Amino acid sequence: MNSPQQDEERRTFREEASSLWLITLGPALWAVHFTVVYAATAVVCAKLGTAYLPYLRLGIAALTLIAVGAIAVIAWRSWRQWNYMTNQEYSHGQPTGEHRHEFLGHAAFLLAVLAAIATLYTALPAVFIAGCG
Amino acid sequence: MRAAVVAALLPWLSACSAPSYLGEFTEGVTALFDLGDVMRPAGREAEQIAQLAWVLFIGAAILWLLVMALFVYITKQNPRPLSRRWAEALIIGGGGIFPVIVLGILLVWTLPLMPAQRMPGDGLTIRVTGKQWWWKVEYLDANGDEANTVVSANEIRLPKGRRTEIVLAADRVIHSFWIPALAGKTDMIPGQTTRMALEPTKTGTFRGVCAEFCGESHALMAFDAVVLEEPAFKAWLAAEREPADAPRTAAERRGAEVFLTQGCGACHAVRGTPAQAQIGPDLTHFGSRLTLGAGSFDNRSAERQSWVAHAAAMKPGARMPAYASLSDEDLAALDRYLEGLK
Ligand code: HEC
Ligand SMILES: [Cu+2]
Repeated sequence: MNSPQQDEERRTFREEASSLWLITLGPALWAVHFTVVYAATAVVCAKLGTAYLPYLRLGIAALTLIAVGAIAVIAWRSWRQWNYMTNQEYSHGQPTGEHRHEFLGHAAFLLAVLAAIATLYTALPAVFIAGCG
Repeated sequence: MRAAVVAALLPWLSACSAPSYLGEFTEGVTALFDLGDVMRPAGREAEQIAQLAWVLFIGAAILWLLVMALFVYITKQNPRPLSRRWAEALIIGGGGIFPVIVLGILLVWTLPLMPAQRMPGDGLTIRVTGKQWWWKVEYLDANGDEANTVVSANEIRLPKGRRTEIVLAADRVIHSFWIPALAGKTDMIPGQTTRMALEPTKTGTFRGVCAEFCGESHALMAFDAVVLEEPAFKAWLAAEREPADAPRTAAERRGAEVFLTQGCGACHAVRGTPAQAQIGPDLTHFGSRLTLGAGSFDNRSAERQSWVAHAAAMKPGARMPAYASLSDEDLAALDRYLEGLK
């Protein structure tokens, strides 16, 4: 039988397991977006030609909207988890559940902001470059 | 203190608002640091690149000065802890938001320049093939008739104000075609053709180089790009299309004979004579080239004779045999002949 204390730890751990997802999801979305945009552009330019570029651009625009939207959701959730508005806390150095929780939220938030900027920068060439050459 | 800074900056700021002062400033810096052809553009692409470089350079200088000024202010003028709000504004604003905006603006500004750099030409097409260590230059016929191609070497001439399409190829190893005053460089790759376009905005002679290491004489693989007004260019191309002038003097006739008997025609072409090989540079109008050995030596009598006697001693690895056993008279006659190939 587990002691109540062990159960408690497991529950905290499970909760933080989901914030580990939160932390990786922002950069992962950027990576997927990046790969799809570059691969799709290469394939369209090599196989279909310039005539299909408008469709490609529309596709990239849609994909970018979805990716940035999803990253925004992640950013919002991690912002809430960081809980900055209530305690204005920047450092989470103590070995307590609350500090761990807020630290992971804080890190996930910063990574999400970075991922959003990177995703937008990835999409910019598709807006401004008109040809395959 | 603050008033002093503003007073020091004012003349500079007002100078910036007048484009001519800015031009003088950039010219002065170019001359002072000998920045060379890249910063003294004579072509459409190169102008864009130079403008970009100036904006980045001046922008970076201003930012650096501002950061240093802030640094001095915080550590020397007013060394006390910042309030939390100011510290946050400085770190998040100065370290995050400001760079993201500046980089975003630069990206949005520069990305549309890229297609312009690759725009196709509007008339003439020149095919340049990189060899070890010289350039085969072919002016293609407007109607695509290969028989009408004008073959030349080691020098390229361009009409000012026109956009000339440049098709690039390579013989055995990678080279890169670069005329810094006119445009960025483009690689020449064996088994592939690459392309670019050159749109000169000024007449003159500009240096071109191979910008990709291609073997022992890579550093001696250069050429001249001569930009002419369009009528002058047309006249030149018509002359270049013609076969070589027949030798006029006794010495030139002797030279022509030596040329054929020594087997120079096994590698070189002089159109209008039995010499028709394409292994080395076409010599039909060699006498009117500005340089010898692919932009590496002056095209003068002494250099020409020394080249024929022992080319590889002047240019390591050069794929032309030494004719050290030729008599001085034969060398001199060859020299007369080569010079006469106008
Ligand atoms: C085996 C082939 C070969 C033979 C034979 C040969 N050449 Fe060459 N020649 C070359 C090559 C290759 C080059 C280019 C070398 C370089 O610049 O790297 C060259 C370059 C030259 C150039 C300079 C061209 C320029 O545009 O700068 C001259 C002039 C020349 N040769 C004259 C002669 C004469 C005269 C003879 C006969 C006495 C001769 N060559 C025989 C291969 C040959
Ligand atoms: Cu080369």
